Amino acid sequence: MPSADPFPVRVDSSACRTAFGDARATCAALLAGRRALQPHPIAGPDGGDAVPLAPMPGRSLEETAPPGWLPAVDELAAEIPAEGWGSPRRPVFVTSSNFGVGSLHAFQRTGAPEHLAYGTPFACVDFLRVRFGWGANVAVLSHACVSAHLGLVLASRTLHAGLADRALVFSFDFLSPFVTGGFGALKILNAGFPAPYAVRDTGSIGLGDGLAFAVLARDQGEFTLAAHSLHNEMHHLTANEPGGAGFSACLGPVAAAAAGLRLWVKGHGTGTLEAGRLEAEAVARFFPGAPLVSWKGSLGHTLGSCGLVELVLAIESLRDGRTPGTVGSAAPFFTETVAAEAFANGGYDGAVLASNAFGGAHAACLLHHA
Amino acid sequence: MLERHFHTVRTEAPGLEEPAGTRERLRDAFPRGATRRMSQLGMLLGSVLGDCGPTGEDTIVYASAYAETRALEAYLASFPTPSPTLFQTSIHPSAVQQVCVARQLPVRAFFPHAGGAQLVAHALRTAMLAPSHRTLLCGGEERGTWLLERGHASAETFAFAVALSRERAGAVGTLSLEATGDEDGELALPRFFSALHQRRPLAQRAAPGLTVTLKWH
Repeated sequence: MPSADPFPVRVDSSACRTAFGDARATCAALLAGRRALQPHPIAGPDGGDAVPLAPMPGRSLEETAPPGWLPAVDELAAEIPAEGWGSPRRPVFVTSSNFGVGSLHAFQRTGAPEHLAYGTPFACVDFLRVRFGWGANVAVLSHACVSAHLGLVLASRTLHAGLADRALVFSFDFLSPFVTGGFGALKILNAGFPAPYAVRDTGSIGLGDGLAFAVLARDQGEFTLAAHSLHNEMHHLTANEPGGAGFSACLGPVAAAAAGLRLWVKGHGTGTLEAGRLEAEAVARFFPGAPLVSWKGSLGHTLGSCGLVELVLAIESLRDGRTPGTVGSAAPFFTETVAAEAFANGGYDGAVLASNAFGGAHAACLLHHA
Repeated sequence: MLERHFHTVRTEAPGLEEPAGTRERLRDAFPRGATRRMSQLGMLLGSVLGDCGPTGEDTIVYASAYAETRALEAYLASFPTPSPTLFQTSIHPSAVQQVCVARQLPVRAFFPHAGGAQLVAHALRTAMLAPSHRTLLCGGEERGTWLLERGHASAETFAFAVALSRERAGAVGTLSLEATGDEDGELALPRFFSALHQRRPLAQRAAPGLTVTLKWH
């Protein structure tokens, strides 16, 4: 079995935004069992069936120019410590699944060329780079719903190679008819609300807006990202290998790196049935007795940014002393270790945070107090 | 300075060849029927990666500014009844995934880079920091249609793959990445591809703090 990436780094500062607000507000809402997901027309202004979505309050799915998500990005970016990001020793890793692709849909729908300035990954990131005053040392990564994890891995490796003093990982994903229409066409976004890891007849997911950042350093920060593991099944573009080999290949190295630690697990847990079962079984196998939670039944799946958004929420929950449960789900579950309710986390050494993506992509990392 | 050697480099420069022509030309490189749903970029990457013989222990680093342009255009055109197939094909890393899924090739680490003028430097940094014995650095673009007319797609179709390792003996070339204090630098993907395709050397400030050198032996 391959080993996890042995490049521990500290999280020196971090923040996020979800439909509930910042990390503190989001954690409080999750601890209270609240659900941000609400029924919205799948095609935004063009209507369609109501599906569970959690956009930022007041934001329309159909893009404006400049994009309607810009105020949320500006607000979060204002919290990033000003350190000359994008310079040779302060690299930035921007990760997303969607970038500004909703603007391409808006262009297709309206013909208004001003939308195109935000439509491609490079154009969108370069627009933000200039807006935030960053230099050009900005790497762009897009690997669907494990995108943010890749940014964390590369930032960690870059710091350990001595190529950077500090690194910024920044991730954002916003809903649009482009993405809601796609998941609707795949039939996994439907009228049902997600119930991660619950045994039921039909699976369903919800989708949400999400954005986050983390400043990583080698020796400064309250929390440590101690190990990372990656695996890509390449079995099918949207389905997992039915034996669960991909989950084992990713979680096994993290379990080895975490030997002897008492952990809880924040899983991917979107609400699809087969992937949920495979993940819950693998978690129970590699981390016996560890409580398993997912927060996507409340926040929706924040796509390429989920790994970073949920890392920031995990940090907030460790500070708070309570881990939110699997909001939106109820027993029976695929395994007995799924935690529907919030629990005190003071007796745990840390958490494993996992995400999955198209192509059978898996990513997981180990988080604990420094 | 980070340095990796390569024994294998493969390129595809099909010019104005349309996807149907690529499909006909490369269909024997894939399992029967697999090319039916593959994009042009996916087929071209399959061609160049096939020669590199990817294994599960390799790291794959993929660089593309625009990636699945044709699938993206077609997916957008499919509204108001969006196509599930085109949606999943339109995602950025899809070309490499199409290849690996068609050949059932799991890989441990896969890093799909987007970006513009600094794309090559950042993808090379990722490749050279990979702990695996071998890293496959690949990339490419496919020529767009209506997005190209608007200046938001590649004007050229191309693909490349280079198998990087620390083994110098018998290498045909060496790629290196030097950390500098330079505040600027750029090296876009078409220029890097051109150097690989034409076997030309390259030495360039490619991003803030990073200089790329390509030497042929």
